[in-house]
Amino acid sequence: MKRLHVLLPMLLLLCVLLPVSAQGNKAEISDEVVLTMGSWRTDDVEQMNRLLNAYKKLAPKVTIKFQPTNPPDYNATLRLQLDSGTGPDLMYARSYAAGQELYNAGYFADCTDIPGLMENFSASNLAPWQMSDGTMFAVPFAAVSHAVYYNKDIFKKEGLSIPENWEAFLSLCDTLEKKGYTPLANGLADEWDILETFFFGLLPNYIGGADMRVKYESGELPLNDRNFVEAYQAMADVAQYCPDGFESVTYNDSQVLFNSQKAVMFVDGSWTAGVYKDAPFDWGLFAIPAPKGKSTAICFHPDMAITMNTATKYPEEARAFLAWLCSEEGATTASQNLPSGYFPMIKFPIKLEDPHANEFLSLNAGRKTDARFVWPKLMNLYAPMNQAVIKVMKGDISAKQAADSVQALM
Amino acid sequence: MRIKHSRHFPWLLYLAPALLVYTVFMAFPLIDSLRLSLFSGNNQVTRVFVGLDNFKRLFTDPEISTRYWGAFFNTWKFFFVHFIVQNGLGIFFAVLLTQETMKGRQIYQTIIFIPTTFAVLITGYLWKLMLNPVWAGDFLVSIGLPFLKHPYLGDTNTALWAVSLVSCWQWLGIPTMMFVAALRNINVELLEAARLEGAGSVKTFWYIKLPLIKPIVGIVAVLTFVNNFNAFDIVFAMENVNGAPEYSTDLIGTLFYRYGIAGQHPIGIPDAGLGAAIATITFLLLMVLVIPTLRQTQRGA
Amino acid sequence: MRGSLRKENRHIFSHIVLLLWTFVVLFPIWVLVINSFKTRLTIYENPFWIPKTWEFSNYTTVLRDGDFFTYFKNSFFVVSISLVLVTLLASLAGYALARYKSRIGTIIYYFFIAGMMIPIKIASIKLLEIMRALGLLNTIYALPPIYVAMGLPVGVFILTTFIRELPEDLYEAAIIDGASSGKIYSMIILPLIRPALATTAIYNLIPFWNDLWFPLIFINNERHKTLLLGVTRLFGQYQTDWSKVLAVLTLSAIPVLVLYLAMSSQFIKGVTAGSVKG
Repeated sequence: MKRLHVLLPMLLLLCVLLPVSAQGNKAEISDEVVLTMGSWRTDDVEQMNRLLNAYKKLAPKVTIKFQPTNPPDYNATLRLQLDSGTGPDLMYARSYAAGQELYNAGYFADCTDIPGLMENFSASNLAPWQMSDGTMFAVPFAAVSHAVYYNKDIFKKEGLSIPENWEAFLSLCDTLEKKGYTPLANGLADEWDILETFFFGLLPNYIGGADMRVKYESGELPLNDRNFVEAYQAMADVAQYCPDGFESVTYNDSQVLFNSQKAVMFVDGSWTAGVYKDAPFDWGLFAIPAPKGKSTAICFHPDMAITMNTATKYPEEARAFLAWLCSEEGATTASQNLPSGYFPMIKFPIKLEDPHANEFLSLNAGRKTDARFVWPKLMNLYAPMNQAVIKVMKGDISAKQAADSVQALM
Repeated sequence: MRIKHSRHFPWLLYLAPALLVYTVFMAFPLIDSLRLSLFSGNNQVTRVFVGLDNFKRLFTDPEISTRYWGAFFNTWKFFFVHFIVQNGLGIFFAVLLTQETMKGRQIYQTIIFIPTTFAVLITGYLWKLMLNPVWAGDFLVSIGLPFLKHPYLGDTNTALWAVSLVSCWQWLGIPTMMFVAALRNINVELLEAARLEGAGSVKTFWYIKLPLIKPIVGIVAVLTFVNNFNAFDIVFAMENVNGAPEYSTDLIGTLFYRYGIAGQHPIGIPDAGLGAAIATITFLLLMVLVIPTLRQTQRGA
Repeated sequence: MRGSLRKENRHIFSHIVLLLWTFVVLFPIWVLVINSFKTRLTIYENPFWIPKTWEFSNYTTVLRDGDFFTYFKNSFFVVSISLVLVTLLASLAGYALARYKSRIGTIIYYFFIAGMMIPIKIASIKLLEIMRALGLLNTIYALPPIYVAMGLPVGVFILTTFIRELPEDLYEAAIIDGASSGKIYSMIILPLIRPALATTAIYNLIPFWNDLWFPLIFINNERHKTLLLGVTRLFGQYQTDWSKVLAVLTLSAIPVLVLYLAMSSQFIKGVTAGSVKG
């Protein structure tokens, strides 16, 4: 009882000290509208706030609050909030199946008639956020690319140059290894990175662009044909050039290895470009080279779009914002505030300021591009393919077995 | 003879607050969610009654059942490591600490408890760093232990044991604390009598201390068991939600999270009905094993 | 003479063992603390040794960031009130269940225990709806009811067991004196069950303080975020500044440790009081 006598006044004191208001996010004045925007990009708070402030200048009565969620929890949190009717007014939408499902569940609004949407984006850029009947459920916002980051200083020091094809790439790695370097920074611990950046990055080299992908999706071509087996074999061949103990190397570790020059190259996505901004060495990019006889293609992947909640209290204001993103002016402002390594998807030619971003875009010149292989229609094969790549790199199974294991699930 | 309190012992009054909070904020939502195991679909719009279909899928669908049984056996291994290492060390340390004239008990106990106060995120990060040959390799070589250099968390043979041991390291504080309390509660006269009879410390422990702390051993075993079967954070912090590498650290907790809450990365479409089915089965399993354990070990039940 | 010599030896062995374990505990803590004084990349230059240059900015940024003070206050408030409520309610319930033997009592007891078996996470959607209906969504007040509900199963478990162990003669004397149940509870029971109360509090302290899930789904309002939730702001999708995270979480471990020490001294007082009984 004595304890309570001490604790209760303490708590009451705390209550007084804590300025607390219930029910955050109520509109304060009748005219002013506050919208919330959910996202998984906690990294972009600064940039997005700049973008949203720029919008506020055009629509002074509307304030949009950027409220990203811890990335690994984004899916779960968003679902819960949508299911219980407490979701944000605007939100980032994932492409293809993940986004479609939320549209089917009735959470994403139909965006087809937003002015500027259908006109200002190419069909292939609209496709990731389009239902099979042509309804759009989000406004495309940014895409990402994948390439090989390389340490220019070390290359210069050892007299090496960008490899022309895959075989040259392997022998380059071999040379580096013999000289005592760790050629590649990639690891297996986080699982998703080796698949999404490396495997899907080089897959278009072996199977071709979007036009070929649909053949695999329809079953016309099997997932264990020669192209696939070669792709898995390529991963197996490159495993020895990854760090010792690469089974434990996480994505974070890989970035550090490259950044501290402990590894010479790193196959990664464009989103990391900002991390190396202040790197104390000169670095560049080259596309993952295709084997002799095949043409190099790039995995240029539509990643983020923005959509509105069907249950939002302010559909007009939300729609207005989305329409702004589809206009040339809005898209340009948005692109200037995109984080490093994200690319605008709108038709208008937009010049990016970051030299490395432009370097990424230049890789696309004259090459076929495609989204990550499983994203459009085969997401259920993501996990099996991931496991197959990991096993083949560990040497537990052969490339043929890897390809067969995935084909078996078709 | 148990004195029956007078009829106006307002036991309902005493129970009411706890019962109210518990029912409204836990029992009711949980039962409602377990009910979901009989439905499919993810929200009001798409929900459809499917009877025992989710349970059937859990055990017969090749992919799902492989994952389930994998997680099931992994969780048992996880539990055994905890039972032996965490609780074994707990009793061992408690015995050491409660010896008469033992100095520094408070300090040691606090030190043992410090890892328990850490967020699991931190524990995960620290041990991931220390068990990573890329970063720890040079250090191990410099202190003359190069043979310890190994990708523990990336090797399917060692990952689960590594994660289990780290989890034991973190939670050891709690059983130690409870066993210390239990041992100190033992009547000093009993121990005096034993010593006068000439019993050595091992005999005293085995024949007197252990039987007297049986209720606490039971409680700790039950709490360990229940916590392990719902464990999720440590795997999440040290590996990933899939139970990498190659599902070797997949526990029922992570399986449930994947199917029931977050969905498979990166799509993120959960199957609430399946998740609820997993939770229901786990619940039944736990009830079946816990209640007899409690009956066995608690006196005067 | 021989007896005391043997005791000395035993203690040396005990100290060696415990010191070994102390090292196993303190080494990772050493790694934690020294790395919180480095930058994101320099951690990896030599992860197990002191920094070349001591980077205090991680701590100063956090301490100067008003937000983190708010998060900290919120966590402290939520955890304190949850702990007080859970121990109070559990002890009241435990008293009733331990003293009133009946079929209903046993059923209710197992009803509580059942709550230990399921992760409360699966009830999240329903809980979100309930909180919304109560108007508590987006405030820290949504958390204590859930935490109390979460902590009650173990609390009732521990306290019922403990109160059952108390000897009969305690009550005989009081009842003969004509004491009401309320007096028996506050004057006799409560002081004696301090170890159990402390155990319940300590056991629940950790999950309450370190919980990320419920603040994550309930609270979007910056001013109501708890500490761990605030920390996740530092986690990016592809990159995380671990040196900052380490600094913040080192700081946040301190109040937990302080609360633990405060409660464990209660615990000790209670235990020694109890062991004197005949």
